[in-house]
Amino acid sequence: MLKIENLKKAYGKHPALDGLNLTIKTGALFGFVGPNGAGKTTTIKILAGLMRPDSGTVIINGVDAGREYRKLKGLVGYVPDSFGVYDNLKVWEYMEFFASCYGLDGLMARRRCMALLEQAGLGDRADFFVDALSRGMQQRLCLARALIHDPAILVMDEPSSGLDPRSRTEFKELVQELNEQGKTILISSHVLSELAQMCTDIGVIEQGRMVMEGSMKEIMERVDHSNPLLITVRSDMDRAMAILRSHSCVRTISIKNDCISISFTGDSQDEAQLLQQLVDAEVQVTSFYRQQGNLESLFMEITDHEDKEVLLYEGKPDL
Amino acid sequence: MRANPIYKRERTVGSRSIRLPMILTVFNSILALVALLNMYSMVSQVEVTAEIQYSAFMELYTFGAMIVFAMILFIMPALTAGSISGERERQTLDLLLSTQVTGLEVAAGKLMASMYNVLLLLISSLPVMALSFVYGGIGLWDLAFLILSFLASALFTASIGICFSALCRRTTMATALSYGMLVLFVVGTYAVNQFIWSMANMEMTGYANQIGGIGSQVNSGGFLYLLLLNPAVTFYEIIRGQMGWQETMTSAAQWFGSRPSNLVLEAWVPVSVILQVALAGLFLAAAVWRLSPGLPRRRRSGEKKEESQGKQPV
Repeated sequence: MLKIENLKKAYGKHPALDGLNLTIKTGALFGFVGPNGAGKTTTIKILAGLMRPDSGTVIINGVDAGREYRKLKGLVGYVPDSFGVYDNLKVWEYMEFFASCYGLDGLMARRRCMALLEQAGLGDRADFFVDALSRGMQQRLCLARALIHDPAILVMDEPSSGLDPRSRTEFKELVQELNEQGKTILISSHVLSELAQMCTDIGVIEQGRMVMEGSMKEIMERVDHSNPLLITVRSDMDRAMAILRSHSCVRTISIKNDCISISFTGDSQDEAQLLQQLVDAEVQVTSFYRQQGNLESLFMEITDHEDKEVLLYEGKPDL
Repeated sequence: MRANPIYKRERTVGSRSIRLPMILTVFNSILALVALLNMYSMVSQVEVTAEIQYSAFMELYTFGAMIVFAMILFIMPALTAGSISGERERQTLDLLLSTQVTGLEVAAGKLMASMYNVLLLLISSLPVMALSFVYGGIGLWDLAFLILSFLASALFTASIGICFSALCRRTTMATALSYGMLVLFVVGTYAVNQFIWSMANMEMTGYANQIGGIGSQVNSGGFLYLLLLNPAVTFYEIIRGQMGWQETMTSAAQWFGSRPSNLVLEAWVPVSVILQVALAGLFLAAAVWRLSPGLPRRRRSGEKKEESQGKQPV
């Protein structure tokens, strides 16, 4: 389990992290989202051991990163957004080099490298030079490299940026496969639709603080509650409208193509009561549901005060 | 003790690169050319005077040593200045530092790789340098001592390159600063002494004219000890000792005015080598410090601009 408490980091006078609190359960695939400059990369760099926080604690599987800094690096696998290439180094040599950086040598290291290359779909490319691989393959190799020491948690900073749709899908499948095998993963991305599809949990960071955190189910429920309630009735429109107007949770009502759209502030119990009222009044209701929300709308809502220019989406939202 | 992974990788990558074979070829071609010209001039002289001048072989040794020394000073910053900044430019430094490899291991690995290259240069130069053994005058121990001093100079210059490579983001800047620092040590220390000595001489001459006496001896004072940090002066002192130039060539200790002898001036070579190795340690410590996480890293101007626009600092 990863637990971050009151993490602070400033670049000069500019605070990048301002008391960040975050908990990731073992086996979770945690989507880490936020606008540019919110503190995602800083958090990830601290987790990867590339930066030390000004204050606060980072505990991974009971290991306090502040006290056992070197041990932290053995618990975290880091995948950056950019992939560094060594000239004149073959794929298997690249893997073995990073294995030796974790003190793994010999036959055991070689077997582990080959197993990871197979898992990343690069088993047949082991003798290729790294710089000859496509960007998608390089990123999968980077993921395999990050797993060389079997880390407790994998942290990925916008790993699929710059990949074509096919490579992105392959990479996403690989990440999901790892998560299904029990690997805890923290992934930062601006492609929110992608995160919504694969993550089990999500956290939204803004100005160095977590503004929302929870399981994907909880978050999506919350998103849904902010969306309009769509009701279609077969007859008795006037009676239905009268009931809706008198309900305390109804804020606005609009009708489009025989579909009543209402802004409804109540919870699921209030929704059930409203439906019951309509049915009791013998209104023939043919459909009654919340319009499905998406992560993008939530993100826009949370970061509404931010400069819109910084919200750059790489993919079309499909939720 | 496990082998340094950075050194191992540098060796693997280096063995596939054309750079080192090219350097060795150029370096040995120059040495061989010097040796051939020396032999040719000697044979020509024999044809005219029917007399073999054995001192010419000693000159070959001196020339060879000078070329090797100059090559070390010239090549080492180029070999090392891109070692860490290159990793940064390739975006592999963060990958390295996120592993259990420490900043010390990174700097040591880079240093070992560059020292390995110098060792190859020195070993490849041995046949030409050993030509002087044929006619004597230079012993095996002299050559071993010279090679050790070359290694010390290489360590000194390599540590400068690695230090600036760790401090600078760009290889071009690191290279420029490394050569600049080297010039400061080689030319700067000499120039400072020359300037101080000239000033002191002018002052003393004016005073002597005033009192109607003759100018007494002046020197550059404590600035002379700056020359202990100058690898070229160390090399000069070694060659001066090995060639037996004590009578004809002035000791570095007496270059800028005569002064009473002391322990440091008498043991110039060992003291200067020790000081240069210690300074190399300081340069490497600075590189290790820069590679350690948690430092208040200097922000680029672009980064400040991005932050002011609400973008992510990297």
